Amino acid sequence: MKMVVQQLADDVRLKEGMNACMNCGICTAVCPAAEYFEYDPRSIVVAVQSGNEEKIQQLLTSDTIWMCGQCMSCKTRCPRSNCPGIIINVLRKVSQATGAFVQSRLGRQQYLIMKTIGANLLRYGYCIHPSAVDIQNHPEQGPVWEWVYSNREEVYERLGANLDREGPGAMRKIATNDLLELAVIFEQSGGTVLWQSIETHSKNKAIELGLVDSQGNPCMDLYTNYLLNEDPEF
Amino acid sequence: MTKKKHIAIIGGGIAGLEAGSVLTRQGYKVTIIEKENKTGGLLNHWSSLFPDFSLPGEVLARIQPENPDLTLIHNTCIESIKKENGRFELFDKRHLKLYADALLLATGLSVFDASLKEEYGYGLFINVITSSDFERIHKAGQKLLTAQGDPPKRVAIIHCVGSRDAKVGNGYCSKVCCITGVKQAIAISRMLPECEVFNFYMDLRLYGSKYDALYLEAQKRHQIQFIRGRLSEVSENQDQSLQLKAEDTLQGRPLRMQADMILLLTGLEAARQNENLCKNNHLELDENRFFKSENMQYHRNCSRQEGIFMAGSCICPMSVNETLDSARSAAIEVDNYLTQKER
Ligand SMILES: Cc1cc2nc3c(=O)[nH]c(=O)nc-3n(C[C@H](O)[C@H](O)[C@H](O)COP(=O)(O)OP(=O)(O)OC[C@H]3O[C@@H](n4cnc5c(N)ncnc54)[C@H](O)[C@@H]3O)c2cc1C
Ligand code: SF4
Ligand code: SF4
Ligand code: SF4
Repeated sequence: MKMVVQQLADDVRLKEGMNACMNCGICTAVCPAAEYFEYDPRSIVVAVQSGNEEKIQQLLTSDTIWMCGQCMSCKTRCPRSNCPGIIINVLRKVSQATGAFVQSRLGRQQYLIMKTIGANLLRYGYCIHPSAVDIQNHPEQGPVWEWVYSNREEVYERLGANLDREGPGAMRKIATNDLLELAVIFEQSGGTVLWQSIETHSKNKAIELGLVDSQGNPCMDLYTNYLLNEDPEF
Repeated sequence: MTKKKHIAIIGGGIAGLEAGSVLTRQGYKVTIIEKENKTGGLLNHWSSLFPDFSLPGEVLARIQPENPDLTLIHNTCIESIKKENGRFELFDKRHLKLYADALLLATGLSVFDASLKEEYGYGLFINVITSSDFERIHKAGQKLLTAQGDPPKRVAIIHCVGSRDAKVGNGYCSKVCCITGVKQAIAISRMLPECEVFNFYMDLRLYGSKYDALYLEAQKRHQIQFIRGRLSEVSENQDQSLQLKAEDTLQGRPLRMQADMILLLTGLEAARQNENLCKNNHLELDENRFFKSENMQYHRNCSRQEGIFMAGSCICPMSVNETLDSARSAAIEVDNYLTQKER
C-alpha cells in the first residue's frame, strides 16, 4: 500500500491547493465552518504540509475533514495562494479510497450522501431533485414540504418551472444522452471507483457493527438507520 | 586642475541629501533632482522616529547640505536616463536635459495603497486609517479621534498590510512596519492612556538594536496586547465602529473583536517611476521591483549599469539609520568609480 503522503501527492489538485502555509490564520478567520465546529483549516494545511504519515492518517479518519462546506472563501484570501478547501477535497478523496472514512461519524455519512446526492446526480442530472426528496425518507422537511411534494406537478407549474418535462426551463428533464455523458464522465474521472469503495467499506463496517441479515450479509437498511441516528460526538 | 566631475542624484530624500553632502565634501559637483517642492522625502511626514522617538527634523537639519558645489532642483521628476559617450543624460517631462559623469539613484519608497486591500475597508469605512495617516495626525499635534469625534476606547493595529501577501503581488517583508507598529502603539497609549491597543501580527520582526526593548516597554508600561493572527476582514457596525475577524493562532480559535478604530501598517513599495528609469540602459529591477544590486553581498550600492549607483531605500525598505549608512557607502562607490576612470 502506498504511503498516504504519496496518495495525496498523486492528486493533481494538491499542487494547486498547496503552496506553503505561513500559519497566518486568515483562512480560519474567514471560514464559516470554523465558526460552528471545532474546526481549523489552518491546522489541516499545516498537518498536510508536515508530510507526517501519522498526522495525515489521523485526519483521514477524523470528523474534521468532513466539516468543510467547500465555499472556497479561503481561496480568495490566503496570502500564500494556498487553498485549504482544495486540500481538504484531496484528503476526502483519499479517505474515501482507503476506507478511512468509516472510522468517523461524519465520514460514515458519505454512504448516505452517495445514496442520495450521488444517486440523484446520475439518475436525474440534479444533486437534489424534488421527486427524490420523498416524504418517508425526509421527515425533517416537515408538513409544508409534504404538501408541496404531493402537489408538485401543480406547484412547480405555478412557479414557472418545467418539472420533469422535455424542453427548456427550471427542473426540466435532462436528456437521456446528457445523462449518459454524465455517467461516462463519472466513470472516467474515477467516480465509479470511489463509489464502489464507499459501498464496500460501508458494508464491511455494517458487518463489524453486527448489522447483518440472517445469512450474515450486511443489511444496509439497518446501517442507514444506524447512521441516521448516530449520536454526534462533538 | 581638471574640471570637477559632475554627479546627478535622483531623489532628495535623506539618502540623496546625505550622499550629496558627502560627495561635495569629497570635491565633486553634485545636482540633486527632487520631484516635490521640498527635499526630505518621507521624513517630512513622520512625527517621531523609532526607536528613540527623536524628531525627523533633527535628522533633516543635520544633513541639509550647504555647499557651493551642490545644486538642488525641485519640482522635477526624472523620467528617463540615457547613456551617451560615457556620460548620462537625464530627462524629465519638459525635456530638461542634464549631463552627469555618474548617477546616483535615491528614489526611495512609496507607501502601499491600502484601498487595494478592499477587505480591510480603507476608504470604505471612515474609522480605518493607515500608519502614514497616524503620523500626520500626530505630527500636527492632534489627538487621535474617531470620525464621530470621540477618543477611541480600542484601537487595533494591523501588521503586514500589503506586504508578505501574494494576493497583492508583494511577497516580501517591508521590514520597518513591525517596529513602526510598536512605536505607534506606544504613541497612542501615551496620547490616550485609557485606550486599549491591540497589535495583530503574524511574526514580529523587530530586528534592530533597541527594537525589542521597545516591544518590552509597549507590553510592560503600556499594556499593549499582541495577538498572533493576521486580519482576515473588517466590517462596519451601524455606529461606524468596526468588527475584526482574525484567528488567534496561538489558541487555534477564530476571533471576533470590536474596535473603534483600525490602523493599517501599510507596506513599502519601490517608487513608481523606477520602471521607466530602467529603459535605454542596463538598470534592472529585482523581483520586488526595487533596483537590483550588482551583487547582494559585496556591491549593494552598485546597479547593473556601470556608472549608476543606488543609495537608501530604493534598494529595499530600510530605516533612517540604515538609509544614512547606505548613502555614505554609495558615496564611496561613486568616488571609487570616478577615480578609477580618471587613471
Ligand atoms: C509610516 C512610516 C513610518 C516610518 N517611521 C520611521 C521611523 O520612525 N524611524 C525610521 O528609522 N524609519 C521610519 N520609516 C522609514 C523611513 O521613512 C525611511 O527609512 C526613509 O524615508 C528612507 O529615505 P530615502 O531617502 O531612502 O527615501 P524617501 O524618503 O522615500 O525619499 C525619496 C525621495 O526621492 C524623490 N523621488 C522619487 N523618485 C523620483 C524621481 N523619479 N525624480 C525625482 N525625485 C524622485 C521622492 O519625492 C522623495 O523625496 C517609516 C516609514 C513609514 C512608511
Ligand atoms: S490563509 Fe494560507 S497561509 Fe494563512 S494559515 Fe491559511 S493556508 Fe496558511
Ligand atoms: S472551503 Fe472549507 S475550509 Fe475553506 S473557507 Fe470554506 S468551509 Fe472553510
Ligand atoms: S516588518 Fe512586520 S508588519 Fe512589516 S511586513 Fe515585515 S512582518 Fe509584516
